[in-house]
Parts: sequence; C-alpha cells; structure tokens
Amino acid sequence: MRTVKSRTSGLTESQFGFLLVVPAIAVFAVVMLYPFVSSIVMSFTNRSLLLPGQSFTGLDNYRDLLADPNFLGVFYNTIVFVVAGTFFPFVLGLIWSIVLQQGFKGSSFLRSLTLVNWVLPGTAIGFLWMWVFQGNYGIVNGMLTSLGLIDQHINWLGSTEYAMLVVTVAATWKGIPWFMAFLFGGLLSIPREHIEAARIDGAGNWTVFSRVVYPALKPVMIIVILLGAIGNLQLFDLFWVMTEGGPARATTTLAVEVYRSAFREWNLGKAAAIGVVWVVLLSAFAFFYLRGMRDEVK
Amino acid sequence: MFEKTRSFRIFFWLSLILMILFLFFPLYWMINTALKPAEEVFTIRLFPANPTLGNFIEVLKSWEIRRYLENSLVLSVSSSFFATVVAAYAGFSFSKYRYRGRKSIMLLVLMSKMFPYAVLLLSLYVLMQGLGLLDRYASLVLAYITFTLPVGCWTLKTYFDEIPDDLIEAAKIDGAGQWRILHTIILPLALPGLVSVMIYGFVWSWNDLLYSLTLVTSPEKRTLAPGLIMHYLGEVQQDWAGMMAASVTVSIPVTLMFLLLQRFFIQGLTAGAVKG
Repeated sequence: MRTVKSRTSGLTESQFGFLLVVPAIAVFAVVMLYPFVSSIVMSFTNRSLLLPGQSFTGLDNYRDLLADPNFLGVFYNTIVFVVAGTFFPFVLGLIWSIVLQQGFKGSSFLRSLTLVNWVLPGTAIGFLWMWVFQGNYGIVNGMLTSLGLIDQHINWLGSTEYAMLVVTVAATWKGIPWFMAFLFGGLLSIPREHIEAARIDGAGNWTVFSRVVYPALKPVMIIVILLGAIGNLQLFDLFWVMTEGGPARATTTLAVEVYRSAFREWNLGKAAAIGVVWVVLLSAFAFFYLRGMRDEVK
Repeated sequence: MFEKTRSFRIFFWLSLILMILFLFFPLYWMINTALKPAEEVFTIRLFPANPTLGNFIEVLKSWEIRRYLENSLVLSVSSSFFATVVAAYAGFSFSKYRYRGRKSIMLLVLMSKMFPYAVLLLSLYVLMQGLGLLDRYASLVLAYITFTLPVGCWTLKTYFDEIPDDLIEAAKIDGAGQWRILHTIILPLALPGLVSVMIYGFVWSWNDLLYSLTLVTSPEKRTLAPGLIMHYLGEVQQDWAGMMAASVTVSIPVTLMFLLLQRFFIQGLTAGAVKG
C-alpha cells in the first residue's frame, strides 16, 4: 500500500482512493443494502401499505406462499420466460453477429440500426408488439388470415395460452441487439491468424466454428447468457405494459408478482417473502457468475 | 471469417433476410401506423394512401405528454450526470488505488445487478414514505445512480486501466495534487468512456418504468413510461395510431443521442467484456 502523503490536503493515497468510492458506497447503502436487509425482516411481518402498524408473523407469509396454487404458476412462468427469453435472443444475436461480421456493404449501418431497438423505451416496445399482435387489427392476424393459416383472429394477449408467447417475442426482439453487441465484439477479437492457420490445415466452415470460434467465444457467451438471464429475471416493463401480468396471471413472473402483491394487494409482507425466495434461488446463479467474474476482478 | 461455400451462402442470405424482416419491419410498421389517418389505421396497407402528421400533432398537443417529456428530460439529464460522476470516481478508485476492502466493494458493486429491483423497491418506498420524500425525483436519481453503477464502474475502470501510471507519476512529480490530476488529466483522457456511461445512464432513466411508476405519482411530476401507460391504457383506450405516434416521439431523443454518439457507446460497453 502506498503511504506517500500527497499534496492534497494531507491525505495518503489510500485514503484519497477510498474517499473517491464513498459516494458510490453511500448510494449503494441507501438503495441496495438497507432495502435488502429490510425486505428480509419485512417478510416475517404482516406489513401492509394500508395501515401503519406491523407485527411479526413468523413464517406465515412463506407458508401461505407454498400453499398458494398461483405461486407455483408464477414460478413456472418465470422459469419459462427466463429460459426462452434468454435462449432465443442469444441464438438469433449470434447468427446476426456472424452475418454482420462478414463485413459486407451496409453491415455497419445494419449494426447501428439493430442497436436502436435496444435504446427504445420498453413502454414503446410494449405498445408496438401489442399493436402487432392486436386481436382485431394487428398485422400478425392480418397476415395469418390472408395466408389462409387461420379462419378466425386470435386474441393473442387475451388468451392464457398465447400471451406469454407474445411477450417473449417482444423480449426477444428487445434483447437481440444487446446479445449481438457483445458477441460481435467477441467475434472481432478472435485473431485472424488462428483462423488462417485452421484453413491452411484444411478446415471447413464448421470446423473453424467449432475448433476456433466457439472456444474463443465461450467466455463471452457465458457472461452474456448469465447477464441476459439475470436481466430477464428483473424484467417488468414489457409485462406490465402488455398484460399487467394477465390474463389470469398467465404472464405473471416473480417481478410482476412482487409488484402486484405490494402495490395492488397492499401486502408488503407477502411481497417481501416472494423476494426472499427469489434471492435464495438467485444464489445458485450467483455462484456461477462469481466464478466467471473472479478473473475480471484483479 | 467464413468461406463462401454453398451451404454458408444459403445460411447467410436466409439469415440476413429473415433477421432484417424481424428486426426492422416492426420499426417500419410503428412509423407506418403513426402516419396513417384514422380511416386507414385498421387496414393492413403497407404504405398509407394519405400519410398524415395528424397523430403526431395530437401527441404533441396533449399537455400531459409534453409535461412527461419535460420531466423525463430533466430527470434523465441530471441522473445520468450524477451517475457518471459517482461511477467515474469509483472506477478511478478501483483502477489506480489500493485500500482495504477494495476487492469486496468491487465485487459487491458488480454483483448488485442481480439484486431484484422489484424487491428493493418495497423497502425504498417505505423508507421514502417515512422520510416524506415520496413523489420527489431525489429517490429516483439515487436509484438510477445505483443501478447504473455496475456497468458504469466497470466500463470506466477499464478506461482508467489503460492510462499509463507513468503519466500520473509525471504529473505528481510536477507537483499536482490527486484531485487536480483526476480532473485535468485523467477525465479528459477517458472521455469516450464518460460519454458512454452518460448515455447508458440517460437511457436507463428515460426508459425506466418500475421505479418511476411507484415512487413518483402526481400527474405533474410523472415521467414518460408511466405517463404513456396512464394516458393510452387508462384514459384513452384503443387509440393505436396515437400510441404508435407517441412511441415514435418518445423514442426519438434516445435514438438520436445514441446514433450521434454510438461510437463511444459500443466501444465503452463492450470493451469491458471482451478484454482479457
């Protein structure tokens, strides 16, 4: 540790360094640490947003959750969405990166345009896909009908079978740019010599991909899938705009259920309990994430 | 990278066409619908027969939407500014200094992405309610700073890592203090990184729904995301052309900013992941 006193106000370098990080620690403590601890405590109470008081109710909230048939559905929805909502944009993002890195005329324009999808507000994306899949006048129904594939318009977002599909499509559309950005960068950073060497050895496209590209890309893939999954777990806006979690809880994920319990049912204790369950499950994810991150943190 | 064999060419062209359709046709459809007059909105015409700016005028005539736009602008500019400052100081601290707890703090910041935002919101709401700070932008600014910290610190630390220590040593020998070195030498060198973090913060704030919906409730202070929902899914239902026009309108600021500054943005965000 360097202890040379610098010209600034007599602080050592270490102290100055620590001072620099204090603002970050401060906001972190207020927005992350305190609520984190407080939610755990809240899960053991019957705190409500309607009345000021609260009393400890022990494991009641958890017992109610396990007994609640809806909760299992919420759980299932979350897993389905996180898996599908991560897998599809990942695969499509990878395909798109491969296409773009071939470097044809207009490829960098296409790349920029793709990233525009990423900066669009989730609310706007929600509106757009609600419109595309609209029951009476949406273009999907219009196309399917004129192609003769269906006789009757499907009420996509109003049906419990298709609602999750539609939101997943919207989330995939939203997610592709993000995956593409990272995977494209990863593809670009593969040294051309390795590919040349493989070609000289007579490798075909598939061999080049499996022996050179895939191994080099694997670290980026792991990070991007993990981060993508975590992001999908947090996703709220698409669900809230397009369906408010309905119909009949068909598109309610953990995030939506936490919000609903707290700000519609006014049941903070229940919401907090769901949160704790969420965090416990997330710890499994954390394990793999930490392993990947340990190389980044010097 | 790949040889243009027959099978690759098929893969390439099929993927190119399908991806372009999937990624960009919806954008076109959004704009197309927004430009259609009332009679045409419910048709499947690919081009409006009588394109009109009427829907956009309606959107901008609405004082609520204008208010939401102003509010979001103020909030996004200020929170992205503060977020960049906090992330820059923290990133620089992580990069060039050593002190007890440094690694743990870094890890905690990186991992904070995984904390369920919806759950944190519960206690934050109760806290703000207790402090009488509900319906104030302060709580949102704090939240946005915190949520953009992981990416912000990581991006900027990567930039600061690239700055050679000799440069800093030389400045110290010349008698410059830590504070001055940071502001006059380091920050200008990391400008692309700073810009990309600012954009990231701006986009986060501009697009946020969950926190702005919950922590700020009065109509005058409402921001865009909750505002659009209140307006188009609450008061006025089924105004699809209006919804598309509004969607385009609220997307323009972030899109413009992104397109103008994208060099910094892509560079900044992906540098961290790809390096090392």
